[in-house]
Amino acid sequence: MKKDPGAAVSAKGGGSKLHNTAVYIRQHWQLYVLFMMPAFLLTIIFRYIPMGGILIAFQEYNPIRGILGSEFVGFEHFQRFLSSPDFMRYLANTLKLSVFGLLWGFPAPILLAFLLNRILSKSTKQKIQLVLYMPNFISVIVLCGIVRILLSPTGMINSLLGTQTNFMTMPEAFRTIYIASGIWQGAGWASIIYTAALSNASTELKEAAMIDGASIIQQIKAVEWPAIKDTVLIQFIMSVGNIMSVGFEKAYALQTDLNLNASEIISTYVYKKGLLDGDYGFSTAVGLFNTVINVVLLISMNALVKRMNEGKGI
Amino acid sequence: MATVQLRNIMKVYPFVSGEQKKGKKKKTDEPEKKSNLQITDEGVVAVQAFDLDIADKEFIVLVGPSGCGKSTTLRMVAGLEEISGGELYIDGQLMNDKAPKDRDIAMVFQNYALYPHMSVYDNMAFSLKLRKVPKDEIDVKVREAAAILDITQYLERKPKALSGGQRQRVAIGRAIVRNPKVMLMDEPLSNLDAKLRNEMRAEILKLRQRIDTTFMYVTHDQTEAMTLGDRIVIMKDGYIQQIGTPQEVFNHPANLFVAGFIGMPVMNFFDAELKKDGNKYFVEVGGYRVELAPEKEKRLLANNVSSQPITLGVRPEHTDVGDSGVSAKVDVAEMMGSSVHLHVNANGKDVIIIVPTIDMESNYKFGDTVHFSFSGKVAHVFSKETSKNLEY
Repeated sequence: MKKDPGAAVSAKGGGSKLHNTAVYIRQHWQLYVLFMMPAFLLTIIFRYIPMGGILIAFQEYNPIRGILGSEFVGFEHFQRFLSSPDFMRYLANTLKLSVFGLLWGFPAPILLAFLLNRILSKSTKQKIQLVLYMPNFISVIVLCGIVRILLSPTGMINSLLGTQTNFMTMPEAFRTIYIASGIWQGAGWASIIYTAALSNASTELKEAAMIDGASIIQQIKAVEWPAIKDTVLIQFIMSVGNIMSVGFEKAYALQTDLNLNASEIISTYVYKKGLLDGDYGFSTAVGLFNTVINVVLLISMNALVKRMNEGKGI
Repeated sequence: MATVQLRNIMKVYPFVSGEQKKGKKKKTDEPEKKSNLQITDEGVVAVQAFDLDIADKEFIVLVGPSGCGKSTTLRMVAGLEEISGGELYIDGQLMNDKAPKDRDIAMVFQNYALYPHMSVYDNMAFSLKLRKVPKDEIDVKVREAAAILDITQYLERKPKALSGGQRQRVAIGRAIVRNPKVMLMDEPLSNLDAKLRNEMRAEILKLRQRIDTTFMYVTHDQTEAMTLGDRIVIMKDGYIQQIGTPQEVFNHPANLFVAGFIGMPVMNFFDAELKKDGNKYFVEVGGYRVELAPEKEKRLLANNVSSQPITLGVRPEHTDVGDSGVSAKVDVAEMMGSSVHLHVNANGKDVIIIVPTIDMESNYKFGDTVHFSFSGKVAHVFSKETSKNLEY
């Protein structure tokens, strides 16, 4: 007699969630093989197997001898990095860039989405969205080129201000340039997810709020914010989890010898040590250090958000 | 509580870019195609020539098929839609350009429109908080409204923890705490199942006795309209078809549309000939002669109606089954409990007859032959040309 797995689920009733999931997977195994297996294999091949490479962080890596033949040095590279006189500067630069980037950059797409949501004319909204999304498709290097031209002593900004300041040589201007250009390039594109979430906000609820006498800010607070709150929280947790992963390309492309004090961050340091100096073990150790901090931050922030938000998090 | 006057109200939705060309093209390609919306050079006309005076504390129901403009009219009163033409007065004050919050109205929506992250209490208190009403007063008002609606035990719950009926009570509660001049209700019972709808209908009737306000209620359900309204406004294609008490619109439908829309099952219509013989009128239908009641004759005479082809309307409940009359074959017999709805075919014409079960000698089956007749007292005479009731 053929056993009906579905019956097992209902018969068990209060059975464990895990058991029910297992029964469901067994019942629909074809679905899992066809749709999940390719993604699963790709993740294993391209995400997990390369993790073996972190062994280099504990070795005096020699490309000729390979991972298995190189000398094991334990935590020597980590010690060297943490005790280096520049460590605190690189860490501080990285953290300042990402924390300030998060503080300024994270609310920007949310505000943009709220503003876009207020535009009633569909065609006007589409045109504005097109203009806002376009900078996202400019490559980082081209963007940095534009920034350098705009901010050069003979560039447009100086012409407007009537000055001849070379902003790219000023360490105190680096973070503002980096963050502002980042917001200009990414806020429009990042607002898509919030605009989509806002489309779920009930029109009736908004109208009810209008009749209740809510101002635009109160309508946003009572109707629109609750509709995107969960999306914002998830995005925030993810952003905090990437706080140490400041993009190397942009910092490197905006770097000049004179703004190194502010622009030398962990990822540019890893690039210089690893690829330019050939110190692969050391640069892998620094990269691993970066990742571990990111993972710790992600888990802590998720736990914090869950505690503050009725158990909702990732 | 307040009077509401709508004077020649009109709503036109302007074309958005590109839509006008499309609309015009369609119009020229298919001139014979009838749409329930009028398309003009300005745009799509949703409501027009809407004139209505609502008395203080009156319960007015706007009823009609989908797309007839009833919700649009209500939304114009609420201030959620701009009024394209005409004037709206609430308590004698012109309201056309006033924001919804300044009209002193409250609205109950079809999908409840409750703030999902707020408790029932906070939902009901929200509008009062925005108006900076003192906390103690808010508490009194919310608890009073909750007691009226029997939702006191749910005040701390979130809307998701309530059933559809309870949510709708909360939505009504949110509206009544404000003690608005006009209470607007946009199909508030449409999302409820039939049993709950009946219960809530009775609740609204009771509520009406307890709160002194003017009601404007939109529904597509004629039963709701008939049971709730002091007066009913029947709409079609953006126009008012008839305004009257439930009794008036049922007994004296102004035109074929109202006659067909009000009443369940729908009125039976027959092609007939109205004949005038001196001061007497009678109707010839399918070879039978129907004498009209003297009061009907008087009205036809007063309107100077001459002999002409007409559509004769008779309600299923006014059609009798007996030993004589028009012969017909039973197609379907629907047992409704207290009555049977007989769908019969008389010479190719489908007719519905309501037979009280108490009068039934045996059950009707498919193919049975029955004879039906009706009195000229209950027949309605509609012009073939204008579809209007010739008596009015």
